[in-house]
Amino acid sequence: MASGKNVIVKVEDLHKAYGSEEVLRGISMEVTEGEVVVLVGPSGTGKSTLLRCINQLTMPDAGRVWVNNVELTDPSTDIDKARQHIGMVFQSFNLFNHLNALDNVSLGLIHVLGMDKKTARDKALMELDRVGLKNKAENYPGQLSGGQKQRVAIARSLAMEPIVMLFDEPTSALDPELIGEVLVVMKDLAVEGMTMICVTHEIGFARDVSKRIVFMEHGDIIEEGTPAKMLTNPDLPRTKQFLGKISELH
Amino acid sequence: MTFLEYIRIAAQPLAEGLLITFQVSAVCLVIGLLIGFPAALVRVYGPKWLKWLVTGFIEVLRGTPVLVQLFLIYYGLPQFGITLSAFTSAYIALGMNSGAYQAEYIRGAIQAISSGQMMAARSIGMTRFQAIRHIIIPQAVRFAIPAWSNEAVAMVKITSIVYLIAVPEMLYVAKILLSKYYNPFQTYITVGVIYLAVIGVMTLLLNFVERKLAIPGFETSKRGA
Repeated sequence: MASGKNVIVKVEDLHKAYGSEEVLRGISMEVTEGEVVVLVGPSGTGKSTLLRCINQLTMPDAGRVWVNNVELTDPSTDIDKARQHIGMVFQSFNLFNHLNALDNVSLGLIHVLGMDKKTARDKALMELDRVGLKNKAENYPGQLSGGQKQRVAIARSLAMEPIVMLFDEPTSALDPELIGEVLVVMKDLAVEGMTMICVTHEIGFARDVSKRIVFMEHGDIIEEGTPAKMLTNPDLPRTKQFLGKISELH
Repeated sequence: MTFLEYIRIAAQPLAEGLLITFQVSAVCLVIGLLIGFPAALVRVYGPKWLKWLVTGFIEVLRGTPVLVQLFLIYYGLPQFGITLSAFTSAYIALGMNSGAYQAEYIRGAIQAISSGQMMAARSIGMTRFQAIRHIIIPQAVRFAIPAWSNEAVAMVKITSIVYLIAVPEMLYVAKILLSKYYNPFQTYITVGVIYLAVIGVMTLLLNFVERKLAIPGFETSKRGA
């Protein structure tokens, strides 16, 4: 890990169980400014839960989380305020169905950041332009392709000027030919220096863009390292087996 | 007297009765909405104790005949020194009863909204209240329209029972007419046709509103996305 850089996300001994099912068994990790971390692992190993515990959409049972040196697990923290600057992108897009693309992006600017409508509109158009969808501003989610929906969702998060972006399998619900357009946007973000934590099985993205790959299984971090090491010469046979398998697929 | 001659005589009083039918229906639907909407929100988002209280209220009102509720208010309350007019009793009984049903329709509409909508709203820093107001309610209203239309149509018909406590709505007027002319068949046929016409027009109007409010490109089959 690069030294001297600010730690943006810090997770300490995070635990979460659903009933008797332990989803997270004491996860600790740090993500520094501008770092792109890819979380991989079989489904049901707690990757998405980990992301949702970071912005407290899911409350962890134990452990602590800091984002930008604010402890989110401290009950006295205003969690709504903290979430304003933690972007999240979902597998199923979750665009607001009753609003067009522009309003999807500007709603938070108006009601959360208190911008006036005109300024919010201009900013929203700029963000849509950034993901290449300025010409779809008036379209409703039902009138957009999956890839376009996800790009609007990314624009919605970016408009809030996040200090970190969490991606929860952003391309898993997309037709294969639409995955590229979303990955391009994510790559651009990474190049601009955005701090990103991505749950994805897009190995190409992990290899070319990420600084670190974290392999999770059964609620634990099994192994982590640079893409070069993890994809070619990991320490553990299990890591090699899993990453080898998804490399064949993607 | 021919049927046409009778209609000429009956038209004016029946029209007056119909206006009362509209008035009672409209007031009760609005009372029902004012009760049903908050009750639905409480049932989905409220604290547990309040949820139980509201659920109990709804189940009592849905589990007993509306006529019993009406009679309890109109005939029963005076025993405790609370005497309400026929109109007021009708508004309270039918309004509360409708509130219980509307609460269930609206609750169903809220629960049909994918949980991802709330999650996305919270992820950009909205409070729970803001998310309910700006994201959940606008969508729930649209989902609730078909069921709500049924409730509106049912209400217009169910108001006919208030003739039993002498609210002069259309059926009450009909009762007076036929006691004067002794022609139950003609009278009830006429009343039936009027109800049918009124409800036909209402259905068209409500379908129009539903289409007007429809979200472009968004079909119910695509709800999850």
